[in-house]
Amino acid sequence: MLVYVINRILQLIPVVFVLSVLVFGFVHALPGDVIDSLAGQEAAEDPEVRAALEEEFGLNRPIYVQYAVWLGNVLQGDFGHSLVTRRPVSQELFERIPATVYLAVVGIGLSILIAVPLGTIAAVRRNTPTDYVAQVSSLIGISIPEFWFAILCIMLFSLHLGWLPSSGYVSPFTDFGASVTYLVLPALAIGFRQAAFTTRLTRSSMLDEINKDYVNTGRSLGLSERKVIYKYTLRNALIPTVTISGLQLANLLGGTVVLESIFSWPGIGLTIFQAIQLRDFPMIQAGVLVLGVMVVLINLAVDILYRVLNPRVGMA
Amino acid sequence: MSDAPVRKGFNQTRRQFMATTAGAAGLGAIGLPRLSKAAPKRGGTLRFGTRVDSTALDPHRNLVYYISTPLAATTQGLLDLDLDMNIVPGVAEEWDISDDLMVYTFRLRKGVEYHNGRDVDAESVKWNFERILDPKTSHAFTRASLEDVDEIIVDDKHTLRIRLKEPSAVFAANVVYYPCNLMAPDSVDQVDTHPIGCGPFKFVSWNRYAKTELVRFENYFETDEHGNQLPYLDAIEGYPKREDQVRLTSLRTGELDLIDNMAFNDVRPFRESYGEAFDIFEAPHIGSGHLNINVKSGPFAMDAPDGKLLRHAIAHAIDREAIHHAVFEELGYPLNGYYSEASPWHMPGIRNVKEYDPEKSRSILRKLNMENMPIAVVARQSFQYMSQTAELVHAMLLDAGFNATNEVFDNPVLRQKYAKDDWGIDSTATSYRFEPDGWYSRWILSSAAENQLRLGYKNEQVDKLILEARQTLDKEKRIELYTEVESLVNEDAALIYTHAVPMTSAGTNRLKGYRPAFAGAFSTAGGGIRTAYFEEA
Repeated sequence: MLVYVINRILQLIPVVFVLSVLVFGFVHALPGDVIDSLAGQEAAEDPEVRAALEEEFGLNRPIYVQYAVWLGNVLQGDFGHSLVTRRPVSQELFERIPATVYLAVVGIGLSILIAVPLGTIAAVRRNTPTDYVAQVSSLIGISIPEFWFAILCIMLFSLHLGWLPSSGYVSPFTDFGASVTYLVLPALAIGFRQAAFTTRLTRSSMLDEINKDYVNTGRSLGLSERKVIYKYTLRNALIPTVTISGLQLANLLGGTVVLESIFSWPGIGLTIFQAIQLRDFPMIQAGVLVLGVMVVLINLAVDILYRVLNPRVGMA
Repeated sequence: MSDAPVRKGFNQTRRQFMATTAGAAGLGAIGLPRLSKAAPKRGGTLRFGTRVDSTALDPHRNLVYYISTPLAATTQGLLDLDLDMNIVPGVAEEWDISDDLMVYTFRLRKGVEYHNGRDVDAESVKWNFERILDPKTSHAFTRASLEDVDEIIVDDKHTLRIRLKEPSAVFAANVVYYPCNLMAPDSVDQVDTHPIGCGPFKFVSWNRYAKTELVRFENYFETDEHGNQLPYLDAIEGYPKREDQVRLTSLRTGELDLIDNMAFNDVRPFRESYGEAFDIFEAPHIGSGHLNINVKSGPFAMDAPDGKLLRHAIAHAIDREAIHHAVFEELGYPLNGYYSEASPWHMPGIRNVKEYDPEKSRSILRKLNMENMPIAVVARQSFQYMSQTAELVHAMLLDAGFNATNEVFDNPVLRQKYAKDDWGIDSTATSYRFEPDGWYSRWILSSAAENQLRLGYKNEQVDKLILEARQTLDKEKRIELYTEVESLVNEDAALIYTHAVPMTSAGTNRLKGYRPAFAGAFSTAGGGIRTAYFEEA
């Protein structure tokens, strides 16, 4: 197992390197001049102002030199300073990442808590009213756009019932109780939609597994139905669910800009989006790179989890 | 000090000026709160939802929408604006203009402090202005406000003289809040993390895109008309919420007390449904929308053979009333010049306004044999009314026989398009031009950087009038001069005024004394956040 993990980690090094090149290249290929953004257009026409800013931010060097300097600094944990706020990028990012991770993990956790039992029960009781309810619910979940469901939640729980705040964020380390009240609606909005996908997937995987020989063998050996389903069948059926949940989690880390807007959630997605609008290159580069690395690490975790669920994975 | 005879601020008569300053001086024994018969209740934390967050903390380097973010309450200019856009005493309680309009002398109020206890004295103001003049530490817009400064002279602790390069009757307008904020010189090392200003509220913390915390500055110099020290509120918490509906919902649920930039189409239904529990505040004109036509090059250029006729064809295609109804929901006013009827600089005598007449546009195009002439309408993404106006203009131009396209860009891309002359009509707006020279000298004057970069408009007569107005103290005379400028601009049709941009905000009806004005929520003497209080604090 250890060798497997080390091998997988070593394979990630070229992936991350290529990612860093792509991130740097794409960011610098964005249309729009960073000097315009920094200086204001009037001043950007002034060669003296332009030269001073280019010198200050190292923008007057060849692009490959800029990349090498940036990569060297990143490897030492220095992402540079934001061109806009002049604060260290790492400080800005690490204020945002916990909020995003918090929301994404709870959202996915919620979706798994809903989807796995529902998908399993739907498969076990296929073609019964329970199955129909599960299928219709998941179809609705897939059909409703996340932002619209979020608005419905706000209308119901905040405006009409007054149970939960409509938007905002409180860190769990500041006030855990308040933090949870702010988390419920965005996590629900994420969890409901993701659960819809995962329910259908779990049901389908379970149906595949239930019809396999080893399940009938287990039953014929006198194992209880509960044990057959939950100990043996579900474990195998969960492999695609784990894959999808891992991908969903990776997707959520950078892909909740709309929900972050609706819930005024100060996450990394919104931060990168606004950095793009301001052409804050160090912030965009660091944000996208960190997200990319997180996605890579999630994939690694998923691979390791495969191995735990099914030790034959990666043996070849 | 200059030996020349002394004139007072041009917006007021000597008598008005003396009344204002005497009143302020008499009522406001600096930093000494007084009891009053009619004192509004003190205390309470205002939770303010804003559309944007501050870009960063350094007040000289950043300006993006600084007038409406809570951070604005931490700083102060040398002079102030009142609710009617007049320049009134602020940190400086008096200012004189030399007879040759070359020297401005500011006498600072005694006892005014920065938040760290340092005096706001002439040396510190000089330090601030020099920092603003340094391209390494200031934004171009801020710097441009002081570009006429030749020398800054400290006469004594509370007297500052500014010698200009050119005579100017309008310089006082450049040292009000935004762009020329004052910060404590000994706090420069912490300006990006914990700025120290001299405004009514002190900085506590800023968690970008999440929360700004400010607390009342206990030694703020301004008082109300009863001599009570301002501000009344104990604290402000700012919550940036990008989406208009999100802010409005948070107001309705009681999570916020005040929101800015209420969507225009929310105003009427919200007032009808929730008018008993909430107040809606409208400042009818904080900026002006206009269509810039690219007259630097191409068929619409100032020197193109049929350029003027083609621009007239565009002007006749624009239905301002439709923009008034569809984009601005009948708030504010359609414009024939920069200043609407809500402004003290309104000019009713403006001529050469091209009325909406699409048939006339079509006939011009037919006459020139230029039907289906291509034209690209562009707009900035960040302000919805700009892109919505662009959509309407696009439809109007199609109707008038142009082959118009419409695209919305984010700011950096649009800037590139300006630089490459890759655009036809730009639906845009400018704000915070309470002093007309801030508009005419920065946009219409042919030597103005913004004009050269974007419009390319040049009219020698217009230039002459703008420069003459710049050196004219008498307000009525200046209005006459600007009326002539606007009439010429309308005739040239390089820039077509569309609509006044109103500022709409809403708050719980427990919030009293809040009076937003042209200068935004924070930077208004005797109004805005400074005079706001809670009924049951």
